[in-house]
Order: sequence, then structure tokens, then C-alpha cells
Amino acid sequence: MDRLRIPWWLAGGASAIAATVLIQDAYTTSIINLIAIAALTAASLRFVMLIGEVSFATAAFVGLGAYSAGVATTILDWPFAVALLVGPVLVTAVSIVFGVITLRIKGPYFTLIGFAFTEAVRILFSKTEFIGGTSGMIGIFPPPAIDAWLSTIVMAVVVACVFALYAIEKSDFGKVLVAIRDNENIATSVGINVLFCKVACFAIASFCAGVVGSLHAFANNVISPGDFSFLLAAFALAYVKVGGESSILGAVFGAIILVLLDSYALGLGAGENLFYGGAIVLAVLLMPNGLIGLVTSASRRLARARAGNGPTLNRKTA
Amino acid sequence: MLQTVLQLLATSLQIGAVYVLFSLGLTLIFSIMRVVNFAHGHFFAISALIVSYGVEHLVAMGFSVLPAYLLSTGAGIAVALILGAIVYQFGLRFFLRDMEGAFILTMGLALFLDGALLGAFGGAVRSVPEIVSGDVSFFGVAVTMQRLALCIAAVIVTVALYWAMSATKLGKALRAVAADHEAAMLQGIPYGKLALTGFLIAAALAALSGALIAPVSIVSPVMGSDYLIKGFMCVIVGGLGSVPGAIVGALFIALVEAVGGYYLDSSAATVAIFVLVIVVLLIRPRGLLAHG
Repeated sequence: MDRLRIPWWLAGGASAIAATVLIQDAYTTSIINLIAIAALTAASLRFVMLIGEVSFATAAFVGLGAYSAGVATTILDWPFAVALLVGPVLVTAVSIVFGVITLRIKGPYFTLIGFAFTEAVRILFSKTEFIGGTSGMIGIFPPPAIDAWLSTIVMAVVVACVFALYAIEKSDFGKVLVAIRDNENIATSVGINVLFCKVACFAIASFCAGVVGSLHAFANNVISPGDFSFLLAAFALAYVKVGGESSILGAVFGAIILVLLDSYALGLGAGENLFYGGAIVLAVLLMPNGLIGLVTSASRRLARARAGNGPTLNRKTA
Repeated sequence: MLQTVLQLLATSLQIGAVYVLFSLGLTLIFSIMRVVNFAHGHFFAISALIVSYGVEHLVAMGFSVLPAYLLSTGAGIAVALILGAIVYQFGLRFFLRDMEGAFILTMGLALFLDGALLGAFGGAVRSVPEIVSGDVSFFGVAVTMQRLALCIAAVIVTVALYWAMSATKLGKALRAVAADHEAAMLQGIPYGKLALTGFLIAAALAALSGALIAPVSIVSPVMGSDYLIKGFMCVIVGGLGSVPGAIVGALFIALVEAVGGYYLDSSAATVAIFVLVIVVLLIRPRGLLAHG
């Protein structure tokens, strides 16, 4: 098992959580919530990309999590902690069924079905009257005692989930997932149950998507079917691609940068889709490894320059 | 009862005609380039929008409706071809047979075009005036001339494409590349050039179906997404990369939509389509007509 760089994570997580305690300005807090939620969405999407699949179903699962929290709070009057957890549990169950059916086939079927699933679920939300139909649900408030601390809770949960995803990725199981992405047949040949591992990976990621949904519902207080179209997954894809796919930090940085830029761009009145779409296209064409890739290649070049080696053109032929 | 069945069949053939053209493009791109084009719906929407504006302006300039429509259709296809060439040359060219990379690129492109179309045309819903008027009736089933013309045009294009794929040199080369691109290249078939050709044919098909649907449907910048989702369903059911599969899948989806829309409502029909697609995948994981 790799070193988990726990001191760095503790420092980073603690300062993120401390920031939410210190900052009291309502607008800044709402932006921080947005960033935290976006970062976990991106981390969840990226976790499925470890097995080489792009899961648009993420958006449907976020929606399912949000609606579960909404129903548990406003209709069933369940306690906050239970309402927070019921979504992720439900989503995990649904994702296992979905995964067993769709992950059996290689190729683009998984993504396309996920895309269609998201749209079908969105239509289902808008056609179900007891959860508000097209107008959605309102009044999903955390208990008054917690209200002031909500932003801190959101950040703490997000940091814990992102670290858990990181730890799983660095574990032996995480290496199996990457092995499956690189060559499924080799993984099968050494006795790995590929379908089981894929479904497990998908279920873990979907649990996090469910958490995102619950947090979104409590942070926003209002949810509607339109919040959970496939665009949600497409935006998450933008965070991952702009930040860099090679590390989970890429997903987090991508979310921070794009959400900040977007809240600035919205102030200018520019179209959100135009902005995100342009960001994805440019990132894929100009920096295939994202910002993280730029940083690592720059630091590698710096280290090489320091060691006194010029650019070694002949290395390829050697 | 028989009347209802015939009416539903007629409706599903009308819907299916457009789905066939749309899905043929998707499946052509997949079989040659091994990528899925998320921006396919936007080629469709751009052409429908150009037709709706073109007809309005040309009629205002004194053209009669039919020539105005044909001219705007030509313009719509031309714009789609230019856009297709740009997208291929500056983007997709680097992502041939790279499923994930192309997914992400075309997804970004789709978002970008979404914003661009909304900015350029506004969000308002538009309509196109009637091009050919009148009704015909077969066995007591009434069909408007417009929809009949749409079906005939779709059948002609589909048959022409089918013939071209099986008889012409270009079609054979495209099929060879789809079957095994490396073996095809060893025979001297230029893969990159064919990928561009296939992509442009697909863009033209999408633009043509957009132009055909414009007079019988409402036109808006976001119409592409609906057709994209339906198109995905069609090719998944039929088997990605299979031309007969795309046709069968499109007719199947159209039938479900027509029957579901008649007995339930249109959004229940969409959910029903999704459930049926899952059932098909459980029985035939690679779709009805996929090989290998």
C-alpha cells in the first residue's frame, strides 16, 4: 500500500473546514458549498473512470439522493442524520442493480444507457405528483440547531468522502480497478472477478453521488427535476478534465477553478453551457492531462534542468 | 380497433422515418471511427433552425414556399457539412478510435453549441409554415401530405445509402474500414480520409432529418437533445455500428413511442422506451442485430 500522505490530507481538510467556520458572509459561504458539492461530484465521476467508464448516471443518482433527503425531511419528518443517509443507501442499492445489468458489456453501452437513464429518471421526478412534479420540492431545511453549522458539515462530509475515495484508489482494490481498465482479459486471467469489481467500484462512486444529492438538498433547501439533468454529469466531467484525470486532486482543483470562474462568468451574463463546453473542448485539445498534468510536467522539467541534463532528444532511440 | 392499429402504425412510421436517418448517422460514425458523437443532435438542430429562418426570410422576399424550403434545406445541409469538417479537422481527427476522449470532446462541443445556438437564435420556439398541403388516406387512415412526403424522402435516402454501402467503391471501403481498419489500411484504403467522409455523410444525414422534421414539428435550439436520446436508444436496441440494426431499432422505438403516446402520455412513453431498452439489453447485451 502506498503512503497515503495523511499529514497533507489532515492539513488540507482541516484548513478547508476551518475556513467554513471563519467565513460568515452568506454569499461566500454559498460559493464554498457549491465548490464542496461540485468537488465530490467530480470525485465520484472520476472514481468510475478508474475502470474506464464515463457514468452519466451520476446525475440521476445525485437526484435520487436529493429527493430521498427531501422526502425524508419534509414528508416523513425523519431526523437530520437519517435523512442525510437514506439517499446514499438507496442510491447504492439502485446502482448495484443498474451496474449488474449495464457493466456486463464493454464499450459505449454503459455511457449511453447512463445518459438515457438520467433523462428517464428526470422525467419520472417531474411526473410524480407527491414530490412536487415539475416544480420540485421546497423547504428542505436542516434542524435550526445545525443550520449555522451546515456549511461546516457539508465540507467535513465532502473531505471525508474524497479522502475515502483516495484511500480506496491507493489500496489493492484500487489497483485492481486500474488493471481492469488497462486490460480486462489479463485481470480475468489471474482470477479476478471483473464484473464484481466493476459493480463494487460503481456502487462506491454512486454512494458518494447519493451523499452529494443529500448535501445539495440541505444546502439549497429547494430542489427541482431540472437540477438533475445529464448536464450535472457533463459539468462534473468538465471539472475532472480541466483539473486532470490522473489524480483525485485534479477533480477537486477543477471543481474549485471552474465554479469560481463560472460564478464570475454568470455575473457577466455569459452562457453557462457555452462556458463549460468551451472549457471541456479546450482542456481536451490543449492539455490532455489537465492542470495537474501541466504542473507535474513543469516540475519534472524543472527538476531535470536543475540536475544539469539538457533536453534529451535521443532518449527515445536509446 | 383495426382502425386504431393502422393509425398507430402510420404514426410510428412517420416518427420512425426521422429516427432512421438520425440513427444511421450515429451508427455510421460509430462503425467507422469507433466513437459516439454527442453533438449529433446539434447538427440536426442547426439545420432545423436554418430551415425555419430561411423559409421565413425567403418567403418574405417573394419566393413561394416550396422553393424557399428546398433552398433552406440546402443551406442547412451545407452549414452542417462545414461545421462537420471543422469539428473533424480541429478535434475529432485526434480522437479516432479513442472512445473516452471523443466522448468528452463531443460532450464539450455539445454544451458549447447548446450555448451558441441559444445565443444566436434565442430560446423561443419556432414553426415552419406548411410546405405541401392536403391529406391522403389509406385504408381509412388519414395522413397529411407533409408527413407522407417526409416518409418518402426518408425511405429514398435510406435505400440510396443502403445501395451505396453495398455497391459503390466508397461504400465498400467504408465497410472494410468498419470491419477491420488495419487490414483495410494494408489494402491501401486511406483511413483518415474515409473517417472524414463518413463523418460528413453522418452530419448531412442529421441535417437532412432536421430539415425534414422542421415543417411537422416545433423548432427550438434545444430540440437536438431529445432526438439524441432517442437516437441512442435506437442504436442501442439495434446494435451499435450495424446499419440494419439502426433501421430496426429506430422503427421499434418509434412504435413504442406511438403506442405509449396513444395509451399513456409522451413522457410515460419515454420511460417505457427506457424500460424496454433495459429488457433488450438483458436478453441481447449487444443489441438485436449486432455481430461479434
